[in-house]
Amino acid sequence: MIKRLGIINAAAHFMAWLAALYFFAAVGAGNLKLSLGSIFYADALSALLVFTTATVTFAAALFSVSFITTDFSLGKITAKKALYYYLLFNLFAAAMFLVPLINNLGFLWMAIELTTLVSSFLVGFYNTRHSVEAAWKYLIICSVGITLALFGAILFTFALATATGIKSLNWTDLLATAKALDPAIVKVAFIFILVGYGTKAGLAPMHTWLPDAHSQAVSPVSAMLSGVLLKSSLYAILRYGIIVNRCCGGNYYGNFMLLFGLLSLAVTCFFIITQKDLKRLLAYHSVEHIGIIAFGVGLNSPLALFGALFHIFNHAVTKSLMFFGAGRVSQAYGSHDLEKLSGIIKTLPFTGLAMLLGAFALVGLPPFSIFTSEIIIVIAAFQSGNFIAAGLFLLLMAVISGAAIYHFAKILFGQPIEPLAAKKEPIENVLTYLFLIIFILGLGLFVPTLLRQSLDAAVNILRGF
Amino acid sequence: MIWLLLFLILLITVETALVTSLPALLRNFRYQSMCLALLTLLAAYRETSPELYVIAGLLFSLKVLLIPHLFNLLIKRINSNNHLGLFLNAQFSLLFVVALAMISWYLASLVIAPPAYLEQLTLSAACFVVLTGIFLMASRIKALAQVIGLLLAENGIFLAATIIPGGMPFFVEIALFFDVLVSVMILGLFIYRINAIFTHIDVSKLSGLRG
Repeated sequence: MIKRLGIINAAAHFMAWLAALYFFAAVGAGNLKLSLGSIFYADALSALLVFTTATVTFAAALFSVSFITTDFSLGKITAKKALYYYLLFNLFAAAMFLVPLINNLGFLWMAIELTTLVSSFLVGFYNTRHSVEAAWKYLIICSVGITLALFGAILFTFALATATGIKSLNWTDLLATAKALDPAIVKVAFIFILVGYGTKAGLAPMHTWLPDAHSQAVSPVSAMLSGVLLKSSLYAILRYGIIVNRCCGGNYYGNFMLLFGLLSLAVTCFFIITQKDLKRLLAYHSVEHIGIIAFGVGLNSPLALFGALFHIFNHAVTKSLMFFGAGRVSQAYGSHDLEKLSGIIKTLPFTGLAMLLGAFALVGLPPFSIFTSEIIIVIAAFQSGNFIAAGLFLLLMAVISGAAIYHFAKILFGQPIEPLAAKKEPIENVLTYLFLIIFILGLGLFVPTLLRQSLDAAVNILRGF
Repeated sequence: MIWLLLFLILLITVETALVTSLPALLRNFRYQSMCLALLTLLAAYRETSPELYVIAGLLFSLKVLLIPHLFNLLIKRINSNNHLGLFLNAQFSLLFVVALAMISWYLASLVIAPPAYLEQLTLSAACFVVLTGIFLMASRIKALAQVIGLLLAENGIFLAATIIPGGMPFFVEIALFFDVLVSVMILGLFIYRINAIFTHIDVSKLSGLRG
């Protein structure tokens, strides 16, 4: 029964993925700007986020089929709890689909808050000491962040009201009048926005909730947290950033992003080297990749923005693959402690192989898609003359990649500590891995015209055209 | 009258840094919300805006009556002792809060130019309330105190919204109230779960996840 429910859920999310693909092609590549009433608005940037969300959500739904069935047969959850999981899963997905489609910044704030509230139940899902602790920290830290973000939103509204007399929270109104806004207010307001939404986006040093929440959540949900939740909060920063750029000029916003990006890389460096837990390792990798995206956005040249937006999608699919692998491994071994894992290739051949590919992709080796977007960002950094920043970026990346390869090599190869019989992979998992690998490998080899056009359109939106 | 209410809000906020028991903190929150509701009522009267009357009513019924009532129920239910548990003692807290007041004043003076003294004071008070709320969350040990700190910070946000001519768009504000209520309930639920699993609500002892 639970399995059938999972299959229906996955089928529904496949439909949603097809719809999102159509939406992405129409709005993104067609460079449309749609609005519905004064509340909803969508452009190429929204379309990219919607497509990323749909891709990760569909993969997570497909992976959930065997994951939740196995959890049920292992006695970790009851049948009722499995139903409850699918309910929360869909609420969470709905909240994340809502975020990129909203024009009103007040409602945008609420949609992002909604994603926190719903996903906190998925983080605390197993109701153990660790998971409840993680859920509590997640709720409290993100609530503080989001409160600061609301303060920033109110300051933006105040700036708009005093400059033009318009009483509105709409992003389009703010953008249209951005040049008239008082730069002093906008600058202070943006700091609140950056710290507020940056907390939820996982930028260091506000990232402390992230490894706890990602490691304790149900594995398919970990992928959604890392792949999409962080990005939807970053999306809010990008939207405000467009206004700040147009209002204040210079690189006020970009410099902040560069700083936080490099800081995120530096902080993860230490934690990845000394990491003892597989899912926490992947969680710190998310902080790193958010840092890379922030760095690209901070450079603020068309090439760098292209790389950063491309990286949003690439990181989402690659990290999902890794979290699914980690979920499967921790179910088979009963632990995600790095010390207890080894010889994954022998016990779970297909998962092991997928993780090996994923690990190479994640650390940025060619011919995978993350390599493409990272090299674009590096080239853009040198082109823009930020030699010190680019050098630091490369140095930190090299250390992180080395440490990650060391950890992954140790758990994938070698002999299992306790001999486990090699397990056959359920067909749903194979399909999930293949679905993601198509993107990871395919986009590394060539970028389809559709994708390039929509990314170009989104870059233009970020630059305020 | 507005000045008096703002002064009261500031005074109550400073006092929250000094209280050491849970019911006293809750009482402070109640008084602060009361002042905020009155402030909104005054604005409603001045601008004869029915929307602001509704918001004042909501502030009163939610933040003065309903939420403190829910908290009292929760406190009874989990049988915790009434001490807040201070990471930082009252004197140091006071020093900290004074520093926060100075930061808020500085930020407000960046945003609003001198002739608009009332707006400047309101904004700095709002910023001060937000920062103090967050400071309380970080420096008090009981999980309930963290939730009250969050609510105090949210009061600061509502105070900040009063400087916008005509207030925030009505539906946004209504939705915000709903959001506050839902998040308080969810946080309360998690406190209940923490109490059931750990048999205490000391967040200083929630340290199973490291590295």
